[in-house]
Amino acid sequence: MWSVVKSVLAAFFGVQREERRREDFEKGRPGAFILVGIVMALLLVGVVALVAIQAAR
Amino acid sequence: MRTLLVWMAGSLGLALGVPLAMANGWNMPVGVTDVSREIHSLHMTIFWICVIIGVVVFGVMFYSLFRFRRSKGAKSAHFHENTTVEVIWTAVPLLILVGMAVPATATLKKMYDASDAELDVMIIGQQWRWRYEYLGEDVAFTSNLGTPRDQIRGAEARGEHYLLEVDEPLVLPINRKVRFLMTSDDVIHSWWVPELAVKQDTIPGFVNENWVRINEPGIYRGQCAELCGMDHGFMPVVVHAMEEEDFDAWLAERKEAAEQEAMGVDREWELAELMERGEGVYGSICASCHQAEGQGSPPAFPALAGNQRLIDDLEWHLDTVINGVSGTAMPAFRSTLNPVEIAAVVTWTRNAWGNDTGEAVQPADVAERLAQ
Repeated sequence: MWSVVKSVLAAFFGVQREERRREDFEKGRPGAFILVGIVMALLLVGVVALVAIQAAR
Repeated sequence: MRTLLVWMAGSLGLALGVPLAMANGWNMPVGVTDVSREIHSLHMTIFWICVIIGVVVFGVMFYSLFRFRRSKGAKSAHFHENTTVEVIWTAVPLLILVGMAVPATATLKKMYDASDAELDVMIIGQQWRWRYEYLGEDVAFTSNLGTPRDQIRGAEARGEHYLLEVDEPLVLPINRKVRFLMTSDDVIHSWWVPELAVKQDTIPGFVNENWVRINEPGIYRGQCAELCGMDHGFMPVVVHAMEEEDFDAWLAERKEAAEQEAMGVDREWELAELMERGEGVYGSICASCHQAEGQGSPPAFPALAGNQRLIDDLEWHLDTVINGVSGTAMPAFRSTLNPVEIAAVVTWTRNAWGNDTGEAVQPADVAERLAQ
């Protein structure tokens, strides 16, 4: 699970190590990446919204 | 090699950055409001960040091209990835962008805060003039191009403020927060005065807000910044910023003049009086399309001189001026001109250039029509 989170974070940032990418494609399940991806995208939106609300004060 | 790099970076910066940044007239103006100064300093900060990035990136590139050229036997390296370098070149732009966004957002917040204004001015874009209404003060006027037509035609030498001068500028006080409520009667225009750092679209059916607090008295010029038709280039903006007491005196004078004008509606006007007034109105409002001698420029703008329908049919003539003609370029002047101005300009066009009807249209009759 942690490795999935790390891979999704790397995807958000846009940089991933080649070995980890290979590993993800060999061992990972697509469903896990999709689920974690959606949850973390929502988290990112929440964080951005919080910052925006703070800035608008 | 280090000297080469320094030399290249330095000359690039000098060649590109400095003249552009310093040359007067090329850069955006510092302006005369706190907001315009902030915008200018943001602009310069971001400009120098871009110069540094440009010098570094192109410096490294040119250095590499020169130092590792093929004629010196350089061989290209083949490798797939370098995570560290990739992280750095992702994180550095991220930090730069956030670093620019934080002060920019702070300035934007100020720009959008039009609350607590001491004076409200409605700015209305019209083809092709600006109308200003001092809300709650009963003072309103249109601001028309002041450049003589002869200069535009090339028959006369161009003046100092060619196409940047008007018959009546927008007068504002310094040191007071003035809120602009901006809209349009016809198409999208844009009210733009660089020195005030205001460039706001005026859109029919919408009211946009903006505001200024001017620090220095002076005359500030701008233009319509949204292509709005034939005379888009002929509807400049001129703002005359005055000391507060001068502004108050000006406003009081204008209010009194407006009252006088309102009283003038009820009395009987002489033909000669109406003609004198009407010639002025015609010159500033009508002549841009129907031409100075009333010859028009058919087919878009019909001739008024010798126009038989106009001469025969006063009702139709008045209706055309008051309500416009839908589907043509003729706008409705019911809210732009007051009853005296409408009566005067109709009288003028019915008696000028050989249209000798001898008829004087009374402002009171026009006022009655407008009330219907």
